[in-house]
Amino acid sequence: MFTNQITPDKLAEEMQEYSRKLGQGVSNLLNADKIDAGVTEKVEVYREDKLVLYRYKAPSDVVQNQTPLLIVYALVNRPYMTDIQEDRSTIRNLLAAGQDVYLIDWGYPDGADRSLTLDDYINGYIDRCVDVICQRHCMQQLNILGICQGGTFSLCYSAIHPDKVKNLVAMVTPVDFKTPGNLLSSWVQHVDIDLLVDTLGNIPGELLNWTFLSLKPFSLGGQKYVNVVDVLNDEARLKNFLRMEKWIFDSPDQAGETFRQFIIDFYQKNGLVEGNVQIGEHLVDLKQLTMPVLNVFAEQDHLVPPDASRALAKQVGTEDYTELSFPGGHIGIYVSGKAQKEVTPAIAAWLDKRS
Amino acid sequence: MDTQRKYWENWAEMGRNATDSNEPAKSPWESALDHWWQTVSPTAPDQTKELMGRILSQGKAFLAMSDGFIKNLQQAGGGSADWTEVFERSISDLQGSFSVPVHPDGDDTLHRMMAFWEMPMDSWQRMVSSLSLVPGDLLRNLLNGDSKASMDEFLSTPGLGHTRETQAKQQEMVRLVLEYQKALQEYQQFFSNLGINSVDRMRKKLEGMNEQDPPIESARALYDLWVASCEEVYGELVTTPEYACLQGHLLNTLMAAKRQSGIMVDEFLDTMNMPTRSELQTLQDRMQESRRENKRLHSEVDAIKKQLADVSSIPPRITETKAKPKARTTSGKKAKRKVAPKKRAVVKKRAATRSQQTKSDE
Repeated sequence: MFTNQITPDKLAEEMQEYSRKLGQGVSNLLNADKIDAGVTEKVEVYREDKLVLYRYKAPSDVVQNQTPLLIVYALVNRPYMTDIQEDRSTIRNLLAAGQDVYLIDWGYPDGADRSLTLDDYINGYIDRCVDVICQRHCMQQLNILGICQGGTFSLCYSAIHPDKVKNLVAMVTPVDFKTPGNLLSSWVQHVDIDLLVDTLGNIPGELLNWTFLSLKPFSLGGQKYVNVVDVLNDEARLKNFLRMEKWIFDSPDQAGETFRQFIIDFYQKNGLVEGNVQIGEHLVDLKQLTMPVLNVFAEQDHLVPPDASRALAKQVGTEDYTELSFPGGHIGIYVSGKAQKEVTPAIAAWLDKRS
Repeated sequence: MDTQRKYWENWAEMGRNATDSNEPAKSPWESALDHWWQTVSPTAPDQTKELMGRILSQGKAFLAMSDGFIKNLQQAGGGSADWTEVFERSISDLQGSFSVPVHPDGDDTLHRMMAFWEMPMDSWQRMVSSLSLVPGDLLRNLLNGDSKASMDEFLSTPGLGHTRETQAKQQEMVRLVLEYQKALQEYQQFFSNLGINSVDRMRKKLEGMNEQDPPIESARALYDLWVASCEEVYGELVTTPEYACLQGHLLNTLMAAKRQSGIMVDEFLDTMNMPTRSELQTLQDRMQESRRENKRLHSEVDAIKKQLADVSSIPPRITETKAKPKARTTSGKKAKRKVAPKKRAVVKKRAATRSQQTKSDE
C-alpha cells in the first residue's frame, strides 16, 4: 500500500491554489492574441481550386539541396502542425538543414468538392504540384515527404509515377491497415461507409474529432483541461497550448468520395498490402517504389501503430530502404523537443546523401 | 482550513443569492467557481467561452473529487487518519455514484454522473449536435416516454389512401429513430460498469504501490492516477470486437435516420418547386466530371504542344511571333524533306540556327 502524504489542510490549500490560478489566468486567456497558424515565412507559388502550394523561405546562409522537397500532408487536420511554433517546427528545421521546402495546403473542402476522388487528389492535384515545382527548378524529379494519410497518398503517387520521384520519405504512414492494436481500423470495420457518405456528402470534421477523442477521452477531454491551469499564467506556454488546441479542433471536412474510397479500399479491404487499390486508371503496386525510401514512424503512435508503418519494408521494390524509429507519439514526432533534434536532421541528412 | 472553507462557502452563498439560484450547493470550491464564471463569462468572446467551459467543467470534477477526499479525511481524524480507511470510504462514495441503474426507456445514467464521466458521451453529443440544425441530440429524446406507446400504434397501422406513400415514409422515419435510440441505449449500457471497474482498478493500483514508488502527495497526483485507471479500463473495453460492433451500429442507425429525414426534406422541397439536395448532388457530380475532363484535355493539349515544339525545335514563343512566319517554316520544312531521317537532327540544328539568324536580321 502507498504512503499517505495527503492531509486535509494540504488538499484544501491545493484546491484554493487551483481556483486562484484559474481566476488569475483567465484574463490571459481572454486577452490572448489571435493564434498564428504556421510561423515560418512562405510564398504562394501555385493555386488550384482550394489547394495552395507554398514554398518556404530558406535562411540565406544555408547551402540548399538542389532537389526540392514537397511535403504532402494528410487531408485530416491542417498542415501547420509541421510549423506550429518557432522552436518546434519540422519545416523550419528542414530549411535550416538545407532543404528547399514546398508544402501542399489542401484547404477546406466544401459541398462543391464532394465528388473529388482519390484520383483527383493523387493523379490530379499532387501530380500538377509536382510538375509546377519541377518546371520551376528545371528538373525531372523531386523529393517527397508524405505525412500520415499524406504519406499513403505519396506512396500511391510514387508507385504510379516513379519517374518523377527521386527520394521518398514516409512519415507515420499507414501501409498495413489491419495490424493488431489498430484501434481506428477495428472501429471502422463495422461502419457502413456508403451509407455515411451518401447521407452526409462530405464527412464533417466533427465526426473525425469525435473518433480521435474517443481514443483517449479522459486524457484528451478531461485531464488536459485540468492541467491547463499550470500554463494559464505563462503567456508563452498558454499560447502554445492554444495553438495545439486550435490545431486539434481545426478539422476540415473530408471530400465525400475520397473518404469513401480511402476508408473502404485502405481500412476495410487493406488494399495497399493486398495490392488491389485502383487510383483512376492505375493499379497501385508498391513494388514500383524503386527510388530510395525512408520510413519514419513513432513507437508510441496510437493513431498509426508502428507495425502499420513497418509493413512497408516488405512491399517496396527498392534496395535502398531505411527505417527511422522515434520514441514518441503521432504528434510528438513533429513537436517534441527530441524530434527537433533527432528526426528532422536525420531526414535532411538522408536526403542530402541521395540528392 | 475551516476559515478557508467558510470563506469559499460564503462566497458561493453570496453568488447563489445574487443570481437567485435555487440549485443545491455542491462543494464550496465548485460553487465559487460557478459564481466567478457567471461574473466573467459575459465579457468572454465565443471561442474562449467554449474553451473556458471545458476547463471549468473538468476543473469542477477535479475539485469535487478532492472535496470528497477532504471530507473523508476530516471524518477520519485529519492528518493522522488511517489512509486505507479514508481511501476505502472515498472509493465507496464514488462507487455509490455509479449504482443508479440504466433506465429501461433509455434514460442515461452517465448524464447524471459527474462531468468527468460524461466525456465519452459528451463528444458523441457534440458531434451529433454538429450534424443537426437543433443543438444537442434531438433524436435521443424524441419519442421517449408516453409518446412511445402511441408511436407503436402508429407504426402498426398500415398506410391508406392518397397519402399512403407519405404515411409509409413517416412510419419508416419513426422506426429508424427508435432504432437509433435503442443503439444509443446499448452503447451507454456498454459503459455502465466503466465507473465501478475504474474505481476497482485505481484501488488495485494504490494497493500495488510500494515504497519505491513516488508517494502521492497531492490531489492532482491522485487525479492523474484516477485518469490513468479510467483510460486503462476504457481502453480494454473499446478494443473488444463487441464495442466495434456497437459503435458501428450506433453510427449506422444515426445515418439511416438522417438519410430518411433527408429524403423527406427533399420531397418537401420538391413540392415547393425548390432545388433538392439530390439534384444539387447530381449537378455537383456532373460539374466535377466536366472539370476533370477539362483538366485532362488541358494536360493533353500541353503535351501535344510540347511534342510539336520538340519536333520543330522552335520554342512556342517564336512560332507565335508574326514576323515572316512563312519563310521560316518553309525553309525548315524544305530542309527536312531533303534529308534522310538519320541526318534530321543535324538539319534541325541548322534550321534553328537559320531561324535565329533570321530573327537577329529582323
